[in-house]
Amino acid sequence: MARSTFRRGLSLLLLLLAALSLWDGTAHAADETLKVRVQDTRETKKQPVEGVAVTVTGPDGTVVAQGVTNEKGVVDLTVPGDGTWIVSIDVATLPEGLAIPESEASREVNVTAGLGGNANFNIGAAPPAADSKLSQLPKFLFNGLRYGLVIAIMSVGLSLIYGTTGLSNFAHGETVTIGAVVTGLVASASWFSLSDATGGWGGFAQIAAASVLGIIAAILFSGLLEVAIWKPMRRRGIGLTSMMIVSIGIAMLVRFVIQMYYGSQPKSYAQFGSQQNLNFGPIGVTARDLLTGIIALIALFWMAWLLMRTRTGKAIRAVSDNPDLASTTGINTDGIILKVWLIGGALAGLGGVIFGLDEQVSWNMGTKILLLMFAAITLGGLGRPFGALVGSLAVGVFVQLWAWGFSNYTDLKNMGALLAMILVLLFRPQGILGQKERVG
Amino acid sequence: MSQTISNALYGAIGIQAIAYCLAAIGLNVHFGYTGLLNFGQAGFALVGAYAIAMPTFNPAWGWNIWVSILVVVAASALFALLLGIPTLRLRSDYLAIVTIAAAEILRLVVSTPRFVNVTGATDGINSFTDDIQNSIPGFIRGESFSLWEVEVSDYYIWTILLGWFLIALFSVLVWALMRSPWGRVLRSIREDEDAARSLGKNVFAYKMTSLVLGGVIGGFGGAMLAIGQRNVAPSSYQTQFTFLTYAIVVLGGIGKVKGPIIGAMIFWFIISFSDSLLADWTDGKGFNLPTWVMDSSNYPFFRWILVGGGLALLVIFRPQGIFGDRKEQSFDVR
Repeated sequence: MARSTFRRGLSLLLLLLAALSLWDGTAHAADETLKVRVQDTRETKKQPVEGVAVTVTGPDGTVVAQGVTNEKGVVDLTVPGDGTWIVSIDVATLPEGLAIPESEASREVNVTAGLGGNANFNIGAAPPAADSKLSQLPKFLFNGLRYGLVIAIMSVGLSLIYGTTGLSNFAHGETVTIGAVVTGLVASASWFSLSDATGGWGGFAQIAAASVLGIIAAILFSGLLEVAIWKPMRRRGIGLTSMMIVSIGIAMLVRFVIQMYYGSQPKSYAQFGSQQNLNFGPIGVTARDLLTGIIALIALFWMAWLLMRTRTGKAIRAVSDNPDLASTTGINTDGIILKVWLIGGALAGLGGVIFGLDEQVSWNMGTKILLLMFAAITLGGLGRPFGALVGSLAVGVFVQLWAWGFSNYTDLKNMGALLAMILVLLFRPQGILGQKERVG
Repeated sequence: MSQTISNALYGAIGIQAIAYCLAAIGLNVHFGYTGLLNFGQAGFALVGAYAIAMPTFNPAWGWNIWVSILVVVAASALFALLLGIPTLRLRSDYLAIVTIAAAEILRLVVSTPRFVNVTGATDGINSFTDDIQNSIPGFIRGESFSLWEVEVSDYYIWTILLGWFLIALFSVLVWALMRSPWGRVLRSIREDEDAARSLGKNVFAYKMTSLVLGGVIGGFGGAMLAIGQRNVAPSSYQTQFTFLTYAIVVLGGIGKVKGPIIGAMIFWFIISFSDSLLADWTDGKGFNLPTWVMDSSNYPFFRWILVGGGLALLVIFRPQGIFGDRKEQSFDVR
């Protein structure tokens, strides 16, 4: 009590002094600054929201200050003294797509003498405008199929490698990461500049050109492992379980080298930022996602053509069926296996670039998707290249259907695909396309 | 330097070594003796950790932590049954994929903010170790110990004693079981499953009991990690946990009772030594590594590079581990 009387006395004195020295009757020495910050929390990195009207009212409802947030999403308001003020933002001035619950749009803020006060408003995504759940289904199915395509181009390589060598290659995720990371590094390097544009065809050209180097890096990584590690191990007759554990070791080694030197922070491809949706009936898709989806589709058709129509493809299928028989008919088994590693590396690298565009480029992106890839090839039937395609589409659709059906549990959406895989194994252990054989 | 060696020696007997040693004893039962490719030991450890923490922490239950040990046994055994039923009849690589997926599913479920009141989401659970604190016996209570240059509180000494007691208990149990007829059947399944089946053994039942036994021991590993760190968080039970456990089993020697113990001690000695040394070499005082090689922000990742590279080299060049005998080694389970 005494303290507050003292403070009040002091401020009165200061007020007098100010009035005396400046002859400015309007200046309040006890005015306090209330900093209001409005942020968009739809993405992990919060973005400032500009142009939001902010009003401060006293306990009796009189308006004491008003302002609009600047480009940093901040407005400094002057309130007449410390105490509790009510800060409210005008919901009508929020940009489209953003919303805040009514109960949070206005709140009490304590202002301390000498320190001022702070109010942060975190604005989330607006709820979809009264779309019925069913009408969203086509959109989720489309996204699921597209996601499945991206998983497919990565897992076809994994499946071919399993088919020809029997190895469950845990380092395949790192091939994906290398493709994405090298592309990102090259695209933002100062010596590599096709276009400074962000977005549009210029940005696309920059990323596409950089991705050529990224994919080459993935091919080199994949081929180098085959030449330096897997082929010598096969020669020495080391078993598949040992090779699988070696691939886990290599995956860890490479993954953490990337974390050490690339950093733990995920980065986006800056040249190709977010875009507006193009709408096709109920399905909205950005031009970028449409383009990358088409590229993935082309890659898969090329793969299918290669497997079914070329000599190399025939040889790959022969080695998958029976390596010993294939080599007695004069097929160079080691040469075919090397080709499989190179093709698998290329597709994984391409998949990494597309996955990096869809989400972000991070040191562990390959590991995160590896389990879904394994789920896909197990679902489709281990070692069957077209099984990998079917399994991947199924996994993609499962993931998106989970997000659609359990919209409160979207952080568990990958779980849906993994659970589906376990259930399929219960009833059809050979997978969707696998031949019925005794596997026990 | 004496600080570094001191840290490393403490690392070799500390709570991490204990937890991973228990997980490795369990994995050795699966992989070393039965030939099961369990890639979900992290899942068993997670089940054990949450089983000891959740009933104690949850105010509605408020169980004594010593009673929660029963939950550890029951929950890990149940998890093993759930994993085993769909996969143990299939080829071994199916078990690998399903176990790694199941461990990830569990980690996703305990991480989600939806169940924050039960699991604590990504922050995990903190206050559940009062009963352990109260059980510290008189002769160490309130004392402060120094293991050479590392200061250790009475609580940590007590958990270390408990942990090594559990390791001794389970090692003797595994040793006795593997000498029994039951253990001989397990090893025959590892060597040739069809031969065991043709002798009329119910291979599925033997594999299942092995999965349950090793899983429960792995669950105790997770519980000890939770008690020792006084915290349960999903980030401790990522797939790396499983791969580290594999590295320990291979390092110490697959299919040997002393393997996990030797492996865990050497493994954590090396890890603590390199961590401590690199921290010293990047702190800006005395000798320093060039910053383009490593600096104080990224040196902690080096331990994983060491583990990954070490695991690969070990399996290629010395699959029998440090002291193992190559003839006895049966690494490949197909």
